[in-house]
Amino acid sequence: MRVTAESSMFQKILIANRGEIAVRVLRACREMGIRTVGVFSEVDRHSLHVRLADEAYAIGPAASRESYLRIDKLMDVAKKTGCDAVHPGYGFLAENPALPRACNDARITFIGPTSEAMEAMGSKTAGKQLARRSDVPTVPGTDDPIENPEEAQSLARTMGYPILLKAIAGGGGKGMRVVPNDAAFPAAWRDAASEAMNAFGDPRVFLEKYLIGPRHIEIQVLADGHGRVVSLGERECSVQRRHQKVIEEAPSPAVTPELRRKMGEAAVRLARAGGYVNAGTVEFLVDAALNFYFLEVNTRLQVEHPVTEQVTGLDLVKLQIAIAAGHRLPFAWESITPRGHAMEVRLYAEDPDNNFFPSPGTILARHAPTGPGIRLDEGVYEGYTVPMEYDPLLSKLIAWGNSREETIARLRRALDEYTITGIRTNVSLFRRILTEPEFLRGEIHTKWLDELLARPRPPAVAPRAGTEEAAVIAAALWHIEQSGKGSNDQSPAEAPSRWKMQGRREQVDRTP
Amino acid sequence: MENAGAARAGGSDAMKFEVHLQSAALGSKKRVVELEQAASGYRVRIDGEPVNADAVQIAPNTISVLLDGQAFEVHVTPSMDGTIKLQSGPHEFTAELRDPRAWQGKKHGAAEAEGRQHILAPMPGKVIRLLVNAGDDVEAGQGLIVVEAMKMQNEIRSPKAGKVERLQVKEGQAVNAGEVLCVVA
Repeated sequence: MRVTAESSMFQKILIANRGEIAVRVLRACREMGIRTVGVFSEVDRHSLHVRLADEAYAIGPAASRESYLRIDKLMDVAKKTGCDAVHPGYGFLAENPALPRACNDARITFIGPTSEAMEAMGSKTAGKQLARRSDVPTVPGTDDPIENPEEAQSLARTMGYPILLKAIAGGGGKGMRVVPNDAAFPAAWRDAASEAMNAFGDPRVFLEKYLIGPRHIEIQVLADGHGRVVSLGERECSVQRRHQKVIEEAPSPAVTPELRRKMGEAAVRLARAGGYVNAGTVEFLVDAALNFYFLEVNTRLQVEHPVTEQVTGLDLVKLQIAIAAGHRLPFAWESITPRGHAMEVRLYAEDPDNNFFPSPGTILARHAPTGPGIRLDEGVYEGYTVPMEYDPLLSKLIAWGNSREETIARLRRALDEYTITGIRTNVSLFRRILTEPEFLRGEIHTKWLDELLARPRPPAVAPRAGTEEAAVIAAALWHIEQSGKGSNDQSPAEAPSRWKMQGRREQVDRTP
Repeated sequence: MENAGAARAGGSDAMKFEVHLQSAALGSKKRVVELEQAASGYRVRIDGEPVNADAVQIAPNTISVLLDGQAFEVHVTPSMDGTIKLQSGPHEFTAELRDPRAWQGKKHGAAEAEGRQHILAPMPGKVIRLLVNAGDDVEAGQGLIVVEAMKMQNEIRSPKAGKVERLQVKEGQAVNAGEVLCVVA
């Protein structure tokens, strides 16, 4: 798809998001010569997306309900600044049909599907009904939200435990609970509903039979406004910690060309049936016998979209923009196949030694990895204070290579180069996963990581000779430099934030 | 780090430190390091033995050490409790520097494993649910309070078996980091 000066294209895009994804969208716009408008809450004035945008406007307090989720404020900024399109990123309002509706009313293009397609496909129950109608296999469960907890519990008994409770409006593992048995049902119901209410403003949940040991494999689709729908192949996202994806890769080590074709066709069928336009993802569970079951549709760009970009050579954000501007997808893409292998790890400000408790705070030092086959989609910088109000995703480190083995080696090498100090990050989690024999063989499923983390930790690897001596020399030299006695006088570091202290408190644990 | 002034050993220019080092792989160790300003860089002794080390601060808090030609990069992060964290690749040490001549015998928040425990909010958030009442007997590890922070619900658990002496917060209440939520005795 060529975007030329003669084609119709947007002049200015409002990016209704923050963090790394706002930066990702900004970069695509800049490459296309489109001006960008950023928005920020009170605590995001220093964020990278504000620094990089052509224009940026404050939209209210830290709480997302009063800023990033306020459609009225976003539309005011879009109108005031003369934007002709809005990109929602992922999260926040990306799957809320009220945003495309508001855009429509204001005669501004929403970069994504129509509100009708979002409603027809985005909610998990609606998506499931559509899947059944389009002859796409589904996991047994209730199609509709259950309002009454007693009724839900009796349904759960009939279906048989384990059962999965899921928020209708859900995503990212929020408002989701596995219920192992009848006794655990009331507490799980309460937690799922209140978490759903807090995260999405909608407490409704539904039930689903819980498959044991499935893989999570999803198909990226692109649909233009002229009836062409294509599959860009799969992403394997089975490495999850409590339903949150932490590593994604393409292609999947389990998918055969035959399965890829079948899943791709199913996803395209579903997208067509829902009148879908723009980039979307159809998620499936795949069992050991390579049967696939429809899980849900994400009517937006995914966090893990870069792995598809690396194996297809396409820029999904630019394509989203071009599709929204009315451009056509080329015919040749109907038979696109992945080339090489790509893998992404999600780096979070959280402490893997303290049950992954969020660890916001100020980044004292940061060194980004570079070199062959490495891409870093990052929303932070040295000196930046990671706010506590939002998802603590710092960056996505993506590696690609000719084979899965080369890709993993590059990722390991890049993780060794990547330094972030001042806050805790989950880098050590990836160092561990990327050396696990099961992971290296591609023998993973959606519970694999939780099971791995429940096993006793391998003994700490002894550092190579000299590490300890180097550390004490560094400590002494650092001290001398700090106190201004050194030959190479540097300004002293800022006092550490109270966050680090909090992150260490031992009595803290997340709800299991 | 008020005890930080370096001791000038025996009138020479050497600055001498006792470094108490801790890590998962090494356990706890004490090393004595002396740095003596030389024409270029420092002459280094560890535990009294000269070592062939070339150490430079290449950026604030980032130190490159060549030890007999072996290359190490060490990132230093100061903590509020006066210790520093040293990271070298995947390895991490906690260190406390002492100047042996200005010995102050400073103790660091030794957690009382027994006795009355003040349960603190780990970070700012909102109390979603109280799981116990004042006067309840609790087991070690039992959930006490659910606090929502960063869109996640976090169960705060009891660090010991005992009795809930008092609850300092109500459901729906916003709490600051470090605020006492309840007391278990």
